[in-house]
Amino acid sequence: MKALKGVLVTCDAAVKQILLHMNTEQHFIIQDLDDTHLVIKGEELERIRRALDVELEKNTYSFE
Amino acid sequence: MAGKRSAEASYEASSSKRTRKTPSARDTPDPSGDLEFPEIISDDESTPSNMQGLVPRSATINLSALSRKLAQEKHNSDGRPIPSGSRGGGQKQQDLVSYIFQDHDFNFLHLKPDHASRPLWISPEDGNIILEGFSPIAEQAQDFLIAISEPVSRPAFIHEYKLTSYSLYAAVSVGLETNDIIEVLNRLSKVPVPDSIVSFIRDCTVSYGKVKLVLKHNKYFIESSYPDTLQTLLKDEVIRDARVISAAPGQSQVALFTTSKAPQKGALVIPGTKEAEKSRQQAGQAQAGASKDAPPQGDKPTQTDADLFTSVVGVENDEIDEEDENVHSFEIADAKIDGVKKRCNELEYPMLEEYDFRNDTVNANLEIDLKPATVIRPYQEKSLSKMFGNGRARSGIIVLPCGAGKTLVGITAACTIKKSCLVLCTSSVSVMQWRQQFLQWSNITDKQISVFTADQKEKFAGESGIVVSTYSMVANTHNRSHESKKMMDFLTGREWGFILLDEVHVVPAAMFRRVVSTIKAHSKLGLTATLVREDDKISDLNYMIGPKLYEANWMDLAAKGHIANVQCAEVWCPMTPEFYREYLKEQSRKRMLLYCMNPNKFQACQFLINYHEERGDKIIVFSDNVFALEAYAKKLEKPYICGSTQQQERMRILQHFQHSPQVNTIFLSKVGDTSIDLPEATCLIQISSHFGSRRQEAQRLGRILRAKRRNDEGFNAFFYSLVSKDTQEMYYSTKRQQFLIDQGYSFKVITHLEGMDKLPNLVYRTKQEQLELITAVLLANESAADLGSDIRAADGDLAGTVTSKDFGKGFPAVRRTAGNMHSLSGAGHVAYVEKNRSVNKQLSKEPAQRHKLFKSRQAAVEKAKKEARRNAAS
Repeated sequence: MKALKGVLVTCDAAVKQILLHMNTEQHFIIQDLDDTHLVIKGEELERIRRALDVELEKNTYSFE
Repeated sequence: MAGKRSAEASYEASSSKRTRKTPSARDTPDPSGDLEFPEIISDDESTPSNMQGLVPRSATINLSALSRKLAQEKHNSDGRPIPSGSRGGGQKQQDLVSYIFQDHDFNFLHLKPDHASRPLWISPEDGNIILEGFSPIAEQAQDFLIAISEPVSRPAFIHEYKLTSYSLYAAVSVGLETNDIIEVLNRLSKVPVPDSIVSFIRDCTVSYGKVKLVLKHNKYFIESSYPDTLQTLLKDEVIRDARVISAAPGQSQVALFTTSKAPQKGALVIPGTKEAEKSRQQAGQAQAGASKDAPPQGDKPTQTDADLFTSVVGVENDEIDEEDENVHSFEIADAKIDGVKKRCNELEYPMLEEYDFRNDTVNANLEIDLKPATVIRPYQEKSLSKMFGNGRARSGIIVLPCGAGKTLVGITAACTIKKSCLVLCTSSVSVMQWRQQFLQWSNITDKQISVFTADQKEKFAGESGIVVSTYSMVANTHNRSHESKKMMDFLTGREWGFILLDEVHVVPAAMFRRVVSTIKAHSKLGLTATLVREDDKISDLNYMIGPKLYEANWMDLAAKGHIANVQCAEVWCPMTPEFYREYLKEQSRKRMLLYCMNPNKFQACQFLINYHEERGDKIIVFSDNVFALEAYAKKLEKPYICGSTQQQERMRILQHFQHSPQVNTIFLSKVGDTSIDLPEATCLIQISSHFGSRRQEAQRLGRILRAKRRNDEGFNAFFYSLVSKDTQEMYYSTKRQQFLIDQGYSFKVITHLEGMDKLPNLVYRTKQEQLELITAVLLANESAADLGSDIRAADGDLAGTVTSKDFGKGFPAVRRTAGNMHSLSGAGHVAYVEKNRSVNKQLSKEPAQRHKLFKSRQAAVEKAKKEARRNAAS
């Protein structure tokens, strides 16, 4: 079996739902551990990080 | 300024990643100190002592490191230390820190030596003024700033104002002089007033307000104290054509100006004020108006510094400046007035409109006065004195918070002018309220006041009177019934002394223009609580009605007990994973239903209701979404009112809420936003709202501002917004709060309600129940997500401003449904038991029967009283 580089992500329940949602478009989750833990592909980490930032920023109100 | 600095976005995999964009307002330590919030654990680690937390790291200055570096440089440069405070040292200091501020480096403005005692700072770029609200002379500075600039944001400690051309226009219109403005600004400012600002002020004031349009003896005059200005205007073709020349030809144009004494406030007394009382007492004496020269200025401090302000700010004093000036005027033709107005604006000489109502002999006077018992509050007096400052009526807008007595200001203004008056409001409900208020506060008779709505079209009896109507009735251009056409002819065919415009901020500009152009009125007064428009078209109002004459400070009024003290909080309710999953999948409007129905929100709502009911509060829960409203009310077993609630049932519920200790909580849909007046309510919870509407937020807060108990020692009203975390609601919620934050309210964020888990019979505790709830939500129609779907406008109501109490008319409409014989015959109901009943139905229809014991007791008491009276008589 081929070895995969994985990263353990600890997050809150809501972020996990966002990640699961993103996963339906492009698969990156290796293992769904529990409510707050996931293992994802190591090489995807940066992309996920950016996408998550964009997603969360949508709900933020700013002046300009 | 500080609020606009965006915090450094650090990455963390937590969802509560809302950056603090408004640290100054959100985290202002509460001055009253004692908070009565339920035990909360907020994420607010930034206690007042730890202010660094608020400032993004990149903007903090490591002072000790800097001074070390500076000392080193000094040492290196010439071997001996330069005396501190000298020019060279300052220069070095500049270089070290200025890069942090980039474009906002105002180091070239040198502080005055005694800057610490001066409270304000002016930005040379955009005319923003930052005021230290804690300075000892802040109050006087505020009075001055209100007169010359527009308040932007007024939290507890640092206020922000902005100089705009309109605000300066308003300043000139209340009689301030250019040089005085600059002089006072200079005295208050920490730095010399920047040249850019000085020239801005000069540019704006030199032309603004120098020309006045006056209606005298029903003729329009252009009036000015500066003959040169009139000459300039007359050089223009349009204006020259409009001029009416009455004198013999051959004279020079200058001689043609009619010259007269400038108006003085003289014996004009605004009813209901202290002065009015005084003059009433002196009525026997010959000089009733003499008291004007010594106006009550008890509240003005007697420091030497204060003279400076009063000479500029005090409205009474500005006549003294004008006294020996003459005004010049020439007449223009009525028909060409619109063209002249427009032309003057183009020439940058916008005309002020004033109405010399005391010398108006053409329009019949209206016998109206406030009832002797009516006394108006100091801030109402202040706002009116801005309007009647020189004895004439100026047109403009007065801004007062909800519940601070806007109506009375309007009525008092009408009583001062004493001419025929037209009142326009947004809905037929408020038409009736205005009428009722007029009858309550003034001595006007039933015959003199009439209403013009879709149902009622009356004219007043006699020469003069008051008509109350709605904007849309007057602005409507098509398909009038015969009767309303006749009524419109009556309205347009006569001249009005005064037109009162309620809730001016909601009226669309086009409608406004129609109203203003069809109705001939000498003076206009706009009233509003929230001078914000979601479309930011406020400046339109400026030229259609006039400048903002007065804007009250909410915090000030609360401190003085005119409106209630309110603690605002935003409660963050995390979405349950199931709901959030559906939320992410859903793209339609149903998303909204999902975040409204979040089980955690249910629980938070239940907990807060429990907590406040135990404290003895009366609670109103608001939900714009009717589906959510019904679900919450039924689940939590509380009565609710929405659009489809019958009038009778509605009255019964309100009555119980007001008088019965059994009913402490009611749920209201959008119908409760305005009009329903419940002074008993002391706590307000909102579970769903109209997107990012700042106006609605302010209006809802207004529901508890007039709380009956507001003058109790240490009384606080509470305002909670329940927000589902990580959803659009967070965005809307922050946006909604902006207006209130600018008024000085601070919203505390509550992330966890302590003790909520321990609450017995907490709803939706188990996963099973939550799953049932989500199934119910997913099965609901998409239309269930609509907001305010339960209320319809009556004829003549302004779209989007529907107010309440006016229901049942053609609603609910007839519905066609399919049914079988079985159910149509009623047999279907046999097997039906309504388990989740609305509490509405459980409220007893009749007032409870009194116990026999009390009845007989009361009879005995009355008998004894009678006996006593008989004894006393004999």
